[in-house]
Amino acid sequence: MKKKLEFKNFSIYFDQYLFISITLLSVMGLFFLYSASQGDLNTIIKQSIFVCFGLTLMLILSQPDPDFYKIFSNLFLLIAISLMFATMIFGKEINGAKRWLNLGFFTLQTSELIKIALPIFLASYLYNKPLPISLRHSLQTFLLICFIFYLVYSQPDLGTGLVVFMAGIYILFLAGLSWKFILTSFGLIILSMPFIWNNFLEPFQRQRILTFINPSNDPYGSSWNITQSKIAIGSGGMSGKGYQDGSQASLNFLPEAETDFIFAVIAEEFGFLGICILLFFFFFILLRCIYLAFNARDRFCRLSIGGLSLIFASTLFINLGMVVGIIPVVGMPMPFISKGGSSLLSFYIAFGIIISMATHKKLMQK
Amino acid sequence: MINLDERYSEKKSFFNRLIIIYAFFGFAFSFFLYRTYSLQVSEYSEYETAAIDNKTKEVLVQPIRGIIYDRAGKIIVNNVPTYDLIIKPSQIESIDSLLSDLSLIINLNSNEIDYVKENFDLKASYNRELVVKKNLSEIEIAQFEVRSYKFPNAFIDVRYSRHNNYPKLFSHAIGYVGGVSNNELTDILRSQKLQQIETIFKYSNGYQIGKTGLESTYDNLLRGKFGKKIYNVNARGRLLDERQFIKPINGKNIFTTLDIDAQKVAFDQMDNRRGAVVAIEIDTGSIVSYLSTPSFSTNAISNGISSSAFNALIQDNDKPFFDRASQGRYSPASTIKPAIGLFGLENKIIDWDFSINDPGYFILPEDQRVYRGWRKGGHGKVNLNKAMIVSSNTFFFSLAYQSDIYKLIDYLSNFGFGANVCGDCFNPDKALLPSPEWKMNNLNFGWFKGDTVNLGVGQGYLSATPLQLAYYATVLANKGASKDLSFTNNGNEKKNQYIFSDNINDLDWEKLHQSMIGVIESPIGTAKRLQELKTFTVAAKSGTVELVSTDTKEDYKVIRENEGNRDHAIIIAFGPMPNPRYAVSVVIENGESGGSVAGPVAIAVLNSLIK
Repeated sequence: MKKKLEFKNFSIYFDQYLFISITLLSVMGLFFLYSASQGDLNTIIKQSIFVCFGLTLMLILSQPDPDFYKIFSNLFLLIAISLMFATMIFGKEINGAKRWLNLGFFTLQTSELIKIALPIFLASYLYNKPLPISLRHSLQTFLLICFIFYLVYSQPDLGTGLVVFMAGIYILFLAGLSWKFILTSFGLIILSMPFIWNNFLEPFQRQRILTFINPSNDPYGSSWNITQSKIAIGSGGMSGKGYQDGSQASLNFLPEAETDFIFAVIAEEFGFLGICILLFFFFFILLRCIYLAFNARDRFCRLSIGGLSLIFASTLFINLGMVVGIIPVVGMPMPFISKGGSSLLSFYIAFGIIISMATHKKLMQK
Repeated sequence: MINLDERYSEKKSFFNRLIIIYAFFGFAFSFFLYRTYSLQVSEYSEYETAAIDNKTKEVLVQPIRGIIYDRAGKIIVNNVPTYDLIIKPSQIESIDSLLSDLSLIINLNSNEIDYVKENFDLKASYNRELVVKKNLSEIEIAQFEVRSYKFPNAFIDVRYSRHNNYPKLFSHAIGYVGGVSNNELTDILRSQKLQQIETIFKYSNGYQIGKTGLESTYDNLLRGKFGKKIYNVNARGRLLDERQFIKPINGKNIFTTLDIDAQKVAFDQMDNRRGAVVAIEIDTGSIVSYLSTPSFSTNAISNGISSSAFNALIQDNDKPFFDRASQGRYSPASTIKPAIGLFGLENKIIDWDFSINDPGYFILPEDQRVYRGWRKGGHGKVNLNKAMIVSSNTFFFSLAYQSDIYKLIDYLSNFGFGANVCGDCFNPDKALLPSPEWKMNNLNFGWFKGDTVNLGVGQGYLSATPLQLAYYATVLANKGASKDLSFTNNGNEKKNQYIFSDNINDLDWEKLHQSMIGVIESPIGTAKRLQELKTFTVAAKSGTVELVSTDTKEDYKVIRENEGNRDHAIIIAFGPMPNPRYAVSVVIENGESGGSVAGPVAIAVLNSLIK
């Protein structure tokens, strides 16, 4: 296993397994997106630029030593939070949501950055704390997580908010949050459910959950998306209808075909066999991440790789679960496949950091 | 610095916890995979159907109604093409510039322009056609055709309208078509195993259904079967491409037995007087003429009529919409006498030699009530033959007086009185053949002998429609053989029903026909004025329906000042004798004299039929 590409004068930190599988997924994504966007060249060119930029960014971010991330993690978090506030003030409003910051050449969804910055910060914060984590540190970090969740949630963006929240919790959990604390908070969450339902959920969010519980309620109303998605997936059958031959996508029955529901397009056109092959790549990436986390050089790297890879897994699972109707519809893209800027880039960033942590070894372990 | 054991245990704890989370994900992911498998493999056919349903839209294609012919093969009702200018909004960039270009060659008024502008966007997004102008003139068509290369997204298409070539002649016989109610449409479509969905119309007025006359009774045959166009559609309901076209089956043509020439003669003869004419081909029971006057233009009703014109028709005192031929109830008056005479012969109450003295009145023995004849002083000694010719009331009063009412009613019913005599007439009235039970139930009075006496001269409660009278004339002409009347020539399938017993033989029939011929030919016949009009021998019986009972001619002169009080004129006739081919009945409301007013109409119609 090579972790370094050695050249005459310099060396590049590089994990071939992750790099190749991510590149393959990205290229497949372009291929699927071409069909989902009904051959819209504009979309493909834009996405190709993102993919190239993302892969480069991933390569660049693999180069610094993990200590760089550890040292500057609080700075990153501060920048991310500042950007969140900037979004609140200068953000572009689309469909009643203020999630985007217009940078001129690129519209940044700032919550995608905080999704990366928060777990890195937590990992570095917990790096030298005695284990198991004390109640005080647990509460401190928990409050920080809640604060950031609220920032994202109030945009409003429940989906990303939940991923950010989970990202924080993953780190805490992996770092060794005491089981007592876990069970107590879990109990509290259950108890506060009705309160959250009444005070924190927007009517459309409640509607989505209700629709999820009983989808036959209104086939042309809020469950239209999920109904059409299931028809697309189901009608794909074992081997699919063929590339660009999916009627659900090409005749616009499937909503959000390029973004959240791109999996349904793939399932319609390539069938069960097709998605099994596609999902194998995701599975492979996750296995590789587990391996890397286990072999990481220190606690910071271990926690970071574990946390970031779990964000990746969560995003993927929320997307898949939503598309086949086993969890309610929350806007969540399919990593490396769905059209999108910020969310796509955030995963290249995450994997850049993972590769950096996996490839930089210390001669003297701590 | 740091205990190695502790680091090892930390690593182990980390690994355990990571595995716990991934185990959860693995579990959730298995569930996801199972779910996807069931969608794509177990429930595949269900979702495949759903996907096809999604992208499929069926549109009905309206069939063309059948054509209605007369018995000579001349078209009475046809589908006349009108030419509409139609555009395809989805392929047009600027409707304003198109309209301004079109308005140079086609006269567009502001309503039409507004209509197009209002509907343009919707039609464009659904990819439907849009009618810019209906009913183009020939000049407009020509102007458009030579410039059509400039308008690739506009074209002229044919839409039909239902057109009666003789709109006032056949108002009641053929009837008219009109819009269809939601329930009717649902029923029609259900009978064709279709649902009510978007339809491509062939008629400019959209869905049509026969409302009256043959258009209604034969609607099933005339209407045809809807076709279907099956399109691919996208999620917004926009039509993409046509996948399949199941052609509509156009309606069947109806070949009627109606005779345009005879109908025209009847129409001219009636000259808008209130009344009806029905003529029958005796051999087949075919209706060759069927007229109710005054009439109205069916084309106006079918294809749009102004509400003021429509109201004028509705409020017209002459009630042009009323079908007098099959719904007008008239007392048969003296035209009933041949049937009463036959009843006398059948029941051996009288024979041809039996005679009585007619003093001009009949006194009912029970209460000394006087029943008068039409001629003061009477007709002297009358037998059945003379009683028919001079229309002696006294003879038939006396005959009826000796009759059993139940037997008489039963006998009259054989002639079609109180019955439906037509197989395909629109909504025919059975009129009234009264009975003691009917009188008790409806008037709360018992049956008097006087009621029977009145029946003997066709007055009183008895009523019949001109259609029934024509049937009655046919039975008389056919020597007792009856056949349901019909507008279509399927006579061979119909069987004659002989209704009379052995007591009346061929000789009796000939004698009866002779006496009916005498009504015209005899110098004392009530319709002798018709002698000059006819070109062959005709048997007839006239009648004058008393609307107001008067004792003297002077009294009648007073009441006839009001036209509505005047007697109805009525006649039944058939010829040429001795082998009659056509029978006819004529009723003219308030026409006063059956022989001289209704008679000429009957003769003219027979003349036209028997050339």
